[in-house]
Amino acid sequence: MRTALIAIVIGLLLVMACFAGCTQQSVPAAGLKLGVVASMTGPASTTGKDVWQSAQLAADEINARGGVFVKSLGKNVTIQLVQGDDESTREGGIKAVTKMITDDKVDVLTGGFSSAVVTAHESIVADHGVPYIITGASSSTVTRRTDINTSTMFHHAPITDASASQTTIFVDEVMRPAINAKFGRPADQPLHLAVIYQDSPFGKGALDAIKATIAAKGLKIQLVAEEPYKMGETDYRTTLTSVKAKGPDVVYPIAFLNEEVPMLTQARRDVGLNTIFLAVECVDDPDYYKGLGQYGDYSIIESRFSAYAVPKGSINANVGEYQKDYIARFNASPGMMGAATYEGVYIAAAALEKAGTTDQAALLSAIGSIQVPEMVESMRNGTISFGNQYHESQFNLFMEQLRWDAATQTLRPKIVWPAELKETEFQIPDWYRPGGV
Amino acid sequence: MAIDVSTLLQILFWGLYAGCIYILLATGVNLIFGVMKTVNFAHGELLMIGAYVTWTLFSLTGLNPYLLLVATVPVLLLFGIAVQRLAFRPVLGSHKLNEIFLSIGLIYLFQNGAAMIWGGDYQSLRSPFESIAFDIGSFRLPLDYVIIIAVTVAILVGLQLLLRRTRLGLALRATSQNRKAAMLSGINVERMDMLAFGLGAALAGAAGTLWAVSGQVFDPYMGSVPAVKAFAIVILGGLGSIPGAIIGGLFYGVAESAATFTLGGAWKDAISFVVLIVVLVIRPTGLFGERGE
Repeated sequence: MRTALIAIVIGLLLVMACFAGCTQQSVPAAGLKLGVVASMTGPASTTGKDVWQSAQLAADEINARGGVFVKSLGKNVTIQLVQGDDESTREGGIKAVTKMITDDKVDVLTGGFSSAVVTAHESIVADHGVPYIITGASSSTVTRRTDINTSTMFHHAPITDASASQTTIFVDEVMRPAINAKFGRPADQPLHLAVIYQDSPFGKGALDAIKATIAAKGLKIQLVAEEPYKMGETDYRTTLTSVKAKGPDVVYPIAFLNEEVPMLTQARRDVGLNTIFLAVECVDDPDYYKGLGQYGDYSIIESRFSAYAVPKGSINANVGEYQKDYIARFNASPGMMGAATYEGVYIAAAALEKAGTTDQAALLSAIGSIQVPEMVESMRNGTISFGNQYHESQFNLFMEQLRWDAATQTLRPKIVWPAELKETEFQIPDWYRPGGV
Repeated sequence: MAIDVSTLLQILFWGLYAGCIYILLATGVNLIFGVMKTVNFAHGELLMIGAYVTWTLFSLTGLNPYLLLVATVPVLLLFGIAVQRLAFRPVLGSHKLNEIFLSIGLIYLFQNGAAMIWGGDYQSLRSPFESIAFDIGSFRLPLDYVIIIAVTVAILVGLQLLLRRTRLGLALRATSQNRKAAMLSGINVERMDMLAFGLGAALAGAAGTLWAVSGQVFDPYMGSVPAVKAFAIVILGGLGSIPGAIIGGLFYGVAESAATFTLGGAWKDAISFVVLIVVLVIRPTGLFGERGE
């Protein structure tokens, strides 16, 4: 009996080990092997699933149209995805990327969420010279670091500097004048801004960018609090109490989706911080709206792709079609990281066609000089390219304000900035109090 | 910057709340260790499962999540008994390494199992009292946290009554103090092992319910950090000492809150272990180690 029980437990452990180890799937060797670095497990798995599903959608679309013509082969080849689960950790990312490069022999990599995770496995990518279209990490260090050769890295996500800079300018241009006017304060009174940032390259990079933007542009914004927190934190009550004591007019968290939802909920519900919260673009996901509910009313998100607000322009129809297809296939709305990865697969396909071969050097050269028309995210000059010295594509960013609809019990965004994309005016709620009290 | 009294009281209050979760978790660890002399490294995963069980029942019934404790606690009690019977009993008494690796293996088993059943996405649930708070000056007292503290006290009082006023509690304490003597006096110590593990799991399940209802998100991988803190509390308070777990849990909650306020959130976890190291250097058996139950 005892032996049998031991055998059962060992068996269960082996099954568990199999589940833990089988998160990367193998594929037959044919066509372009595209490795997708996605957080399929761990705290970032919501985003990871979106990344992987979007890549699947793009690859299937390309393959359904007959694949990609490769001149050197004189025929069309298919895009074959290889999934690499980074487990939302640095170590998991290193393991997944190593396997994809050395075992699966991928030609190109895409995906890669969390700057901390991506920076950890980049050295492996650099050592093997594999082209990597990074669609999730936002720290500028992923292509600007000098300790490794980043010539094979291409950054298809707005860098934190750009995102934080846009948000800070919005605060100065739109929020500060509106708050000063509403509460009868002098027009030039500085706005008190509190920053709650993830203690990681992502968070610190954004904080530095906020400070640099304020200093470089001489904005009338005073930082009254800079509060770090550990990645994955769930209890923000003390941090928020500390922030509240410093009297902020606006709170700017540099946080992931699974962090900002409890942070904002606890701020409004438990701490009574009656102020407007900002959010970085990576939280613009249907789960964010669902998770926040009424607590997200009047909050602001800097964005480039939203499930519920599509900017005017050439991408409008593309976004509608992409969302329709995604919802039909996965019974869920696509998120921002997925949208960038969807484009990442198309970029890889375009590069393959341009290179006319799967030769690594030719693919690198092709990605570096590529000019792809904007697809589901609004790009500067309407084109996806990695023309600048850091291989960074340039996005058109916008700001959304979220409103709670009590009738439908839904939280939805409207674009409030910049003027050319604006759907409605920025509003200050009646419950808002300057100084957060 | 001048810090007003109400801000300090608020920080203390958040520390007390965090301490409640730690106390329930650490008391469970201590109960299991006290009787079985086994450290269950997968204890944080029992908290996670408790949160998911409550969330599932809440999704199915829409009942008040505090009332669902009445269901979650027995479910975790039975689950704990099953885990002890199927996993721990076969290796009990063998090399300690077997127990350690078994419980480490259970961490992955529970995490992957939860991800298979409930998905890997984070979840949260809403308390029906979330909009009720009492503002005393700038000190804010949300009703949910008052309930959480009250529920924790009630559970601990109930546990003390069970241990001190019932024959079952007497048998548990006897097994904890001297396993052989307990066996010789007719106590079924293997049954006591199952009961202790079940009670420990039930306490973790209660902690999971309170975690979820307080507005904290949870996912299949969230158990590790609370578990590590629970072990630190147990060592701080003294292995096997329930009063030690209570004092240690409260101390940790308040210390974390104070560290976050004064040094920043990045120090929240670190300060607990700084305190632990200092206490162990001064008093290697922990605060209540020599008076263990």
